[in-house]
Formats: sequence, structure tokens, C-alpha cells
Amino acid sequence: MTRNTRTTVFLVAAAVLAAAFTWACTGLPRFGTDTHPYGDRAVRAALAHRTANVVSAINFDQRALDTLGEESILFAAVLGAVVLLRRARDEDRADPEPRRVLPSTRLLGAALLPVTVLVGVYVVAHGQLSPGGGFQGGVVLATGLHLAYVAADYRVLRRVRPLAVFGALDATGAGAFTALGLAGLIAGGSYLENVLPLGTFNQLTSGGTVPLVNAAVGVEVASGVIVLLAQFLDQAVEITSPGHAGPVQNTGGGAPGNPPEAS
Amino acid sequence: MLDPSRMLPLTVALPLLGAALLVVAGRLLPRTANDVLATAVAVTTCAALTVLWLRAGDGRVVSWAGGWRPRHGESVGIVLVGDRLGIGLALLAAVLIVAVLAYSWRYFDEPPERHRGSFPALLLLFEAGMCGFALTGDLFDAFVFFELMGVCAYALTGYRVEDSRPLHGALTFGVVNSLAAYGTLLGIGLLYARTGELGMAQIGAQLAGHHTDALLVTAFVLTVTSMLVKAAAVPFHFWLPDAHAVAPTPVCMLMSGVMVELGVYGTARIYGTVFAGPHGIPAHAYQHTMIGIGVLTALVGAVMCWQQRHLKRLLAFSTIGHTGLFLIGLGLLDPHATAGTALYVAGHAGTKAALFGLVGVLLDRHGSVDEHALHGRGRELRLAGGLFLLGGLALSGLPPFGTGLGKALAEHAAGEYAGWLTAVYVLVSAVTGGAVLRAGLRVFGGAGPAPRRSHADIETSGEGEEPEVRDPRRAVPLTMTVVPGLLLAGSLALGVLPGAGRAVAAGARAFGDRAGYLADVTGAHAALPPPPPPTAWTGSGLLLGLLSCGLAIAFAAAAVWLPAAPERALRVLRRPAGPAHRFAVVPLRRLHSGLLGDYLMWLTVGMAALLLAVGAQL
Repeated sequence: MTRNTRTTVFLVAAAVLAAAFTWACTGLPRFGTDTHPYGDRAVRAALAHRTANVVSAINFDQRALDTLGEESILFAAVLGAVVLLRRARDEDRADPEPRRVLPSTRLLGAALLPVTVLVGVYVVAHGQLSPGGGFQGGVVLATGLHLAYVAADYRVLRRVRPLAVFGALDATGAGAFTALGLAGLIAGGSYLENVLPLGTFNQLTSGGTVPLVNAAVGVEVASGVIVLLAQFLDQAVEITSPGHAGPVQNTGGGAPGNPPEAS
Repeated sequence: MLDPSRMLPLTVALPLLGAALLVVAGRLLPRTANDVLATAVAVTTCAALTVLWLRAGDGRVVSWAGGWRPRHGESVGIVLVGDRLGIGLALLAAVLIVAVLAYSWRYFDEPPERHRGSFPALLLLFEAGMCGFALTGDLFDAFVFFELMGVCAYALTGYRVEDSRPLHGALTFGVVNSLAAYGTLLGIGLLYARTGELGMAQIGAQLAGHHTDALLVTAFVLTVTSMLVKAAAVPFHFWLPDAHAVAPTPVCMLMSGVMVELGVYGTARIYGTVFAGPHGIPAHAYQHTMIGIGVLTALVGAVMCWQQRHLKRLLAFSTIGHTGLFLIGLGLLDPHATAGTALYVAGHAGTKAALFGLVGVLLDRHGSVDEHALHGRGRELRLAGGLFLLGGLALSGLPPFGTGLGKALAEHAAGEYAGWLTAVYVLVSAVTGGAVLRAGLRVFGGAGPAPRRSHADIETSGEGEEPEVRDPRRAVPLTMTVVPGLLLAGSLALGVLPGAGRAVAAGARAFGDRAGYLADVTGAHAALPPPPPPTAWTGSGLLLGLLSCGLAIAFAAAAVWLPAAPERALRVLRRPAGPAHRFAVVPLRRLHSGLLGDYLMWLTVGMAALLLAVGAQL
């Protein structure tokens, strides 16, 4: 099949899909009406379980099974990346050479790293109260750690990021979520049931199991993203394929292909 | 703990917990301990599902996650609903996981260092995804577990990183399936906007208050597309042979045995619960569309299967052919056909997984899966060869295998709907079974003259494969022959033991009983549906089974021994076949280009065609 045939046929079919979807959207309820059957129910249920952040109440309590599935997807994706990006037999490992980093970059990174990690911890810890939670805070935590790579170099990142520990933490977070569900089954009779005391509304300890599940997800997401990024960084920085000369990538101080000396 | 509604979520939780344990402990424990741990978890999950299967009886097990049972008919929670068909499929997946763990016990040379538990952990996550998908009664939750299943399957497909082809196959598989999944998400969004519900039964009940309009048709097509992609329905099937050709053999056993069939199940479940009510998608529109797709899929699968010499691609296309038959069976919306198809799926899973396992033995011994290059080289593998030929016969529907009984029941029901459908069943099972027999006779028996080497651009040879195992001097591990043997025995038992058929029939009745499903979810009571359909062998079923089996043997014999006939006789035979080959088969083979862009074009075309087909029938 020629490229032109393919493009033409695709465009015709895509036009049919677009027309159908547009037509379908005219059947949607109007904006700004005051009937929100699921929203009303979810808010009532969140308040009944004294969880101030309704989104977290939905994620970690009302539809916790979905979230268990989603964080298992992340777990499986991280595991899959580890397996697919593992060092093949014909690949070698070479230590990257350190490069000079601009002092301003170094200073900014060193100052921001602890602040970012603190923000991450805050976002995870207050998931049951204010916007945020384990997923968002976890990603903030993981990216915060990588400021070490931007500010210093790859070897510093490797020191602050013991992969074996984070790999185990990733699995522990995933397992803890599953185990919390089993605790609900044993104590309450339903899997993932919210069996802990609900506490006082808008306090850090409110929401029963919500803060615990939230924390488990935070640990899993933070460690998972760290392990995931590590696999890709390894491929780019450390692993050399036969036929390629040693690692040519930039090893710190900004985006690859944009060496800091140039500026 | 033996309360069935408490056990239902355990079938997801146990494998998830096992996977987490394997990742934590995997780097510390020796390989054997990892395998024992994974097998123990898989066997426990199997046992839980067996208990559930027994306890579900003719009804359903309903479990509200988090204890969010409906108040005044409304709930914010997720419901799991297990009837015998759903539990049965989850059980099938769990049994295959145990079989695959046992099969790959000594299969790979050495697991990746530092990540010794990763292969069994991915298998357990795959299992959790399949169980969750089969047992959930919530549309969004089904999507989540569907994606979990997908992510594990992509990673497992690309497992052999030494070669670039597995990564390419996994990438094609992942991109096509993920794009279709976006469609499903859009469809769920449309349904949620209209009804304010995510549970399948709840959406179905709410839709009765609306009309069949563009939104409903679009939502239906978008939602089922990803199911049909997973089911490898034509023209969404292109990823499947490419993925099967490169995936490790144990992974092929799972994908062909149960993952693809879950796509068919998902289509039927979503239609039956969400869209089948008043003001939904009318039954005739669904029947015609599904039968159309099913026949097309079955024929394309059969033709392409016959053309292959790469054994894994041959088996993959035979899966496509059979999926077409399953799509027809569940598209008829008839309890007899449903019962037959359910048995057919189970029997096919045992047979197909066994056949893939035996191809794995060839790959282990000879580092090739090419029918032509392996001619006669499998002679010393007597047991494997015998089992392979038996598998080919079972695939063609030989009584009393489970495949034969399932095919007989489904084709009888299909014949009542339209007589020519019976011919499709007979022909497709004969051609796919015949292709397997042909390959078996050549490889394990050295029968007929050695095929001439051809280097046509439309062919995928199976030479130059990386053996999945490193040391060719060792003997074939015993489990690699025993597991396929047991799987074939299981397929035989399904057709022989009358209890299996009866139980599946009761499950088929519950599966088609929409009112009962809705009532069970909302806690009301519904009248009992009519008695289950009979599932015994009939005279006509036996004869048709023997017919397709005989045809399969005839096709295989003709392919193997005719080339030895005098040239003049061959020319007479070739003349009428020439144009058909040139104008139908060659272009069809060229469409399977291996180019991702082509596949995505077909995905879009398929969705547009579905929209037009369903829309035109309203």
C-alpha cells in the first residue's frame, strides 16, 4: 500500500469518526445545569466518611478498587520497563564522565532539592484534606530527587537514589495497598472497606483508611517513577551498544545535546 | 472467609500480593524459591476460583468493594459480579497461569540478574488483570483491569531483549491496543455524561429512559472497539500475529488461550448488560454486525493460517480464525450458542496452549520455528510429535474433545439462525486444524518431499530465531512435554465429562439473563429464566465433527504428498487455483505488512465501518 493511499483512506475514516463524535456530543447534557447525580452522591458519601478532599474520598475509599487497579498498572509498567530496558548480553556499561556545571545551576538545584522534596511530602500527607494526594505528591517527590542530576551529575544522583531500595519500596507500596484491602475484608467484611475510626473532619488523621491508602500510593508512585526514570537514564547515559563509541551523552547540567560549556 | 461474596475480590488481591512479594523477595531468593512462591500463589487463586465456581451455582455472586452497597437503589461503589461464565473464564486464566509457570520452570536460561522474580511477577499481575476484568460489573473498573492486562502483555511480549524484533512486536501491540483503549475511555465518558453512572447494570437501567441516538451508537462503537482489538477481530487483528511471532512461547499460550477470548467476552458482556435494554442498540443490529465481523474474521484467519510456514504465526492466525467463530457464537444472543461457545473457548484454550508449548520444544531443540527448514528434524521427539498431531485433530473439532463438543453445539445453534453458518464452522476448523496437521506431519514425521525454499517478500520464515533457552545440549525439560499433554487431556475431559457441559449451560443461561443481572446488582429479585439448554453430544454434531476432522486430514495430506505427484497432474490442479491465489490470497497477505501506520489506518477504518454498519441498521 502506498503512503498516499494509506493517508487518504485514514483521512476519510477519521472524518467519519469525527462527524459521529461531534454528532454524539450534541446529545450530551448542557453545561451549567444543577443535576449531577454521581457528584451529589459522592460528596454525601465523602462527608459521611469525614474526608474533606472529595476526590481522595472517591479515589481511596468509594472507588478504591479502581485505584488499586491503576496503581497496579503503574507497578506493572515499572516492572515492564525494568525488564525491557535491562542490559542485554551484548551491551556494555561505561561510567559517564563528569562535566562542569554552571555555579548558578548548581546553587539553584541544591537549594530547590530539599524544598521540592518537602513540598512532595506535604502534598502526599494532606491528600485527604486538600487537593493533591499520593499520585501527585509521589511524582513531585520523584522529580525533586532528580534535581541532583541537573545540579550536580549522574554519579551524585546514583548516590542519592539507591535503586535496590526504591525497587523494593515500589513493591512494598503496591503490596501495602492490597494488604490494606485485605484488612478491610477481615475486619469489616468487604474488600477495601474503610474500617478505621473516621476521626474529626478536616484533621490530618480523618478519613479512616484514606490517609493510609494515600500514603501507600505516595510511596509506590514516588519509588516507581524514580525506578522508571532510572531505567531510561541508564540507557541514555551508561549503557553502550556494540558498534557505538562510548557514551556521548551529556551527564549533567541540563538537557541532553545542550552541553553547559556552550553557554 | 468462605463466603463467596468475600472470596470474589480475593481472586484479584491474591495475585497482586504475590507479585509484590516476588519483586521484594525475588532478588534475595534463589530461582527455585521464586518459582515455588509464584506457583503457590497461582494454585491458591485457582482453588479460590474453583470454590467460587461451585458456589455460584446457577446464579451470581455479588460483592460490593469497600462495602458501598446501594442505598435506595444508588451506590457510589464498584460491584463485582461473578456468574459461571465470568468465574469460568477467570478460572481458565488461572489454570493457564499455573500451566505456564510449570512449563517455564526450566524454560528460560537465567532470569535477569537483580530482577529474578520479574517474569513470574508479571504473570501474576497479568492474572490479576484477567480475573478483575472477567469479574467486574463496573464499566470503568473493567477498563482499568483491561489496561492492567494490556500493560503486562506488552511487557511480556517484548521479554527477549537480545533481539530487536520482540520490542518491535510489543510496540505495535501496545500502540494499537492503547489507541483503541482511548476510544473506550471516550465511550465511557459519553455514557457517564448521559447517565451519571459507571456500573454496567446501572448505566443499562438509566439508558432505558433515553432514546437510541447518535450518542448511544457512538458510545457503543467506541466502547467495544478496544474489546474487538483485543479479540483480534478483522480489521483490528494485525497486531496479534506480529506479537505472537516474537513473544516467548509461554506468553503465547496465555495470549491465545485466554486473553484474546476475554475480548470476545467483554464485547458480549458490555452489549448484554449496558446496551441490550429498551432504547438501546437493537438485538438484530448487534447480531448482524457481530456475525458479519465474525465470519470475516474466521475466513481471514483460516486463509492466512494455511499460508504460514512460521509455526507461531500459523497458530496465531488459527486463533484469529477461531475467535471469528467465537464472535459468531456470542453474537447470536442465543443460550445454546453461548453454552457451546463457552465450551469451545475452554477446549480451544487447552488445545492451543498445548500446541504453542510443543512449538516451544522445537524452538528449544532447533532454534527455529520454520515448517520448511524443520522438515523431518522433529523425528526424534516422538511424544511431542504425537501430541502435536493430536492437538491438530482436536483443533479441527475431533469428537470427543471439548473443542468438538463446543463446536457442535455452537454450529448447531448457528445453523438454526442461518444454514450457511454451519459451513463456516466446519470449513474454518478444518482448514486451521489441517494447517497444524500439515506442519506436524512435515516436522515430526518428515512426510512428503522437502518443500522448496522460497524467498517471496510476502512470507515470514521462522528461521534465525533466537532459541529462548541457551544450552541446546541439555535434554528437553520434562515439564515442557508433560504440561502440553495435561492441557490436551483437559481439553478432552471437557468433552467427555457430562458435568462440565451442564455447568457451562447453566452459566450460559445466567449470562443471557439481563433482568436477573440488573436485579442482583440492585438487590431486587427477578423471575428465574428458562431452563438451561441441553449440552450433550448429538448425532449430527458427531458427524459434523468427524467431517471437519476428515477434511482437515485430507487438506493436510494433499499439501504434504501432492507435490510428489507427477507434474502433469499438478498442472491441472494448479490452473483453477491460480487466479484465486493471485487476486485474493496474495493481496490479503500483502495487507499484513508489519507497518504500524497501516495497522492504525485499519483501526480507524474498522471503527468508521462499525459506526456506519450499526447506524444503518437502526
